[in-house]
Amino acid sequence: MTPPRQPYQNRMEILQGTLDMLILQILQWGPSHGYALSKAIRTNSGERLKADTGSLYPAMHRLERKGWIDAEWKDSELGPRLRVYRLTKSGRKQLVSERSRWVQITTAIAGIMNPAKRGSES
Amino acid sequence: MRLRFWTRTRRDNELQEEIQGHLTLAERDQMQSGQSRKEAHLAARRELGNETIVRETTRDMWAWRWIENLLQDVRYGLRMLRKNPGFTAVAVLTLALGIGANTAIFSLVDTVMLKMLPVQKPEELMVLAIADPKATGEPNPELTNPIWEQIRDQQDVFSGVFAWSQARFDLAQGGESHLVNGLEVSGDYFNTLGVHPAAGRLFVSSDDKRGCSGSAVLGFGFWQEHYGSAQNAIGSELSLSGHPFEVIGVAAPGFYGVDVGTKFDVAIPICAEAVIRGSGSALDVRAAWWISVVGRLKSGVSPEQVSARLLVISPQIFAATVPQKWRVESQKNFLSGILVASSAGKGLSDVRRAYDQPLRMLMAVVGLVLLIACANIASLMLARAATRQKEISVRLAIGASRARLILQLLTECVLLSSAGAVLGVLFARWGCAILVRFISSQRNPVFLQFSVDGRILGFTGAIAVLTGILFGILPALRSTKVSLSSAMKGGQQDEAPGRVHFRPGRWIVAGQVALSLVLVIVAGLFLRSFNNLLTLDTGFDRSNVMMIAANAHNTNLSPEARETLWNQAIQRLQSLPGVTSASESVITPISGLGWNSYFHRQTGASPSGRNALANINAVSPEYFATLRSPILAGRTFNVGDASGAPLVGVINEIMARRFFGSANPIGQYVYIDEISGKAGPLIQIIGIVKDAKYRTLREMTPATIFFPVAQLAAQDAQGMSEQPSFEVRTAAPPATIAKTAAEVFASLNGSISLSFRTLEEQVNDSLRQDQLLASLSGFFGGLALMLAVIGLYGVLAYMVTQRRKEIGIRMALGAEKGSILRLIMGEVSILLAAGVAAGVGIALWATHYLQKMLFNLDARDAKTILMAVAILTSVALLAGYLPARRAARMDPNAILRDE
Repeated sequence: MTPPRQPYQNRMEILQGTLDMLILQILQWGPSHGYALSKAIRTNSGERLKADTGSLYPAMHRLERKGWIDAEWKDSELGPRLRVYRLTKSGRKQLVSERSRWVQITTAIAGIMNPAKRGSES
Repeated sequence: MRLRFWTRTRRDNELQEEIQGHLTLAERDQMQSGQSRKEAHLAARRELGNETIVRETTRDMWAWRWIENLLQDVRYGLRMLRKNPGFTAVAVLTLALGIGANTAIFSLVDTVMLKMLPVQKPEELMVLAIADPKATGEPNPELTNPIWEQIRDQQDVFSGVFAWSQARFDLAQGGESHLVNGLEVSGDYFNTLGVHPAAGRLFVSSDDKRGCSGSAVLGFGFWQEHYGSAQNAIGSELSLSGHPFEVIGVAAPGFYGVDVGTKFDVAIPICAEAVIRGSGSALDVRAAWWISVVGRLKSGVSPEQVSARLLVISPQIFAATVPQKWRVESQKNFLSGILVASSAGKGLSDVRRAYDQPLRMLMAVVGLVLLIACANIASLMLARAATRQKEISVRLAIGASRARLILQLLTECVLLSSAGAVLGVLFARWGCAILVRFISSQRNPVFLQFSVDGRILGFTGAIAVLTGILFGILPALRSTKVSLSSAMKGGQQDEAPGRVHFRPGRWIVAGQVALSLVLVIVAGLFLRSFNNLLTLDTGFDRSNVMMIAANAHNTNLSPEARETLWNQAIQRLQSLPGVTSASESVITPISGLGWNSYFHRQTGASPSGRNALANINAVSPEYFATLRSPILAGRTFNVGDASGAPLVGVINEIMARRFFGSANPIGQYVYIDEISGKAGPLIQIIGIVKDAKYRTLREMTPATIFFPVAQLAAQDAQGMSEQPSFEVRTAAPPATIAKTAAEVFASLNGSISLSFRTLEEQVNDSLRQDQLLASLSGFFGGLALMLAVIGLYGVLAYMVTQRRKEIGIRMALGAEKGSILRLIMGEVSILLAAGVAAGVGIALWATHYLQKMLFNLDARDAKTILMAVAILTSVALLAGYLPARRAARMDPNAILRDE
């Protein structure tokens, strides 16, 4: 017997290529570990977005390799050490450029999806 | 589980810890929302998903991920190779031979043709040559000393310009010569090249002034060998061809001169050529071409600007250096010459010129050998892949991607070829030494500085990887393309797909047959060409003749006294025990040296143009008897043909035919058409001698005229008798005569220097290149044949095992042994026929490139091709017969019981 399917209506897939930006954005508020990051994405999107761990951890390791985020081990009261990530200087710069690209894309898409508005803007 | 053999790294443990942390936190959250510990644990895990996949994909982000994969593949590959030691050994050895041969030939190509000179900015160097605007030939890079001096004083495009000439100096003062490689260099030679001294100092411009006394710079190797690198060598005296020279310094190690293929021992300034040659000095001779000139480009000057400038200064340079004795026509020709410059960054090289084509050919041959070796291993791998099918199906079934498996199989192949390459580099070092010994002769010692540099290693590495991929790709693609269900079912495959399955293996074998047939044909061509040279009627008998080159330069004897001395020498040589006869000549056969002139008949029509050109030699009366060149008409010289007597000559058959046609030449007169336009004295023809080769065996036998040595003075060629050669025919092996002959000369005059060589050695030395080509192409042809036969045998033996069941059923249904044999041999014949047809086609297309290297043989010689086909076919049929016979002898009952 197959398990009942999760209700989908309130969950959206994270748009391709935006996960990196989301991670950087969240880390801007302060250092965080992987679980907290995934929770932050969920809660801050009003439970609409969910970052799959299978994408989240690879993404964080990729960002670390690129030097945009740093990681260090912190002891926790719960037992296992936690790997805590923080934004680096170049990560901050990267976030700025990703954000401006995001704005461009959304404006462009909005322009297409809502052509009436376009006339009044020009 | 994917078949992965992880070594847990620290990084891995950390990743696991990180994910563990994630799970712990998630679990805590779940418990806070009111779930039991067990429920919370399960919910956290569910949310995380497949932990292994999370870890795998995260690991993939790490930069060295691919290296880990590779290392893992390598470890796995090594294990597989260790499990099949027989296959591994055969494959590695085959590849080592193939790669080693390629590396060896490429080292030679690299050293001779590609490497830049080990001097400062070699790309700035330009060599000067004289181009004849009318002639289409190559510009001539040999200049005269007067031209060099003009260039030195007039050029303004080079920041430095220098000249040099190669020479041999004799270290011994009389007796047997001890020759070393010398250089005569201009003052700016070393500093223009940017060579530094290892000790003392090198030449500067002021060392190279007319009338200089002798000073010498040593090559580093010579300094090590002869002086043990002693500092007190500087300032010591060195005797060069009997003249004292002061050693002033040693050139830096690694500098061997600008001529690739040689190594200089001693360099002297060009001005000191007069010290060595005395009155015979060529410093002011306007028709002696012995100097090479190289300039270094001024910064900012392009080669085009150099050519333009040289075009402007050429007329005045040639006007100032025209040989005045030449006839007007020749002078005009000389004056119209222009100096041209071409890149000299790779140095100059006679070896390069001589071996350019052979090296290219050999490179192609070893490339084909490697290709055949690849094909061999590919078919072995294909056969093996079938036995590995189960392993591969299992791996595919449990989730390995096909790409990953192909990569893994290819890694195994590259491992094999790398092992082959390592062994091959060792083979190559050894092969290079043999090759150089092969092309080196006593008179032309070849020195090549081989270094295992980045380029060679790069070449070998690239070959190894390419080879591995080449022989691995087909087996890897095929063996990973399996139908899982049928392979997992186990055992052998069904008959029909089995046959189809093996098709590529068979075509590989056909290709191998084709390529090896090409190599066998090439080998046949070179062997037959070499045989043509060996069995050629040279017109003289080269066995049992010792030649003694004598040099009376340091004896200070008058020409007359010298002649008396030479006559006494002949007398005494002839009376030595074991000597059949002895003679004197100024030129020996196949020495590569020549002396020629235009001749005219006194009366009647003379040949025109180059047909009037005849080679000249001056010999003593016993010469023809000593060399066993029969006199066909008239007589040879005798004592009566002395210096005061009428001039006489003996001509060969070709000269007789060319000058006199069917008329009898005996008693007729000819004269030399002097270059100055003045006719020479009349010479009466007294005899006709059998045609003989003169400079090389490959030449069209030239018209030749012999003068008596006693009459050289009257021919204005007395200088020729300063360094005559004596031929001694012996009953025993000629080497036995050297010691007593040396004593004969020593008793006459201790200052005469001598060198010994048999006529046979001299002839064989001239065949070095042909011998090299015949031996190497023979070797590689044999190798190719062997590889092809092994490949054929392997494929057939495998096919027979694969088709055991089919054969068993056929026999059970009443097929005769003969029909089974015919069945297998039919397959062999199809493969062979396809291979042979393709091979002959390729050979017909490719071998015409070899025509220039062949002697008296058509590159498409039908007999050679047929012989090659016959050899290949018979060996291949034998290789096919063995498995076929095994198939025919199988017991159908046993087979069917097994199934």
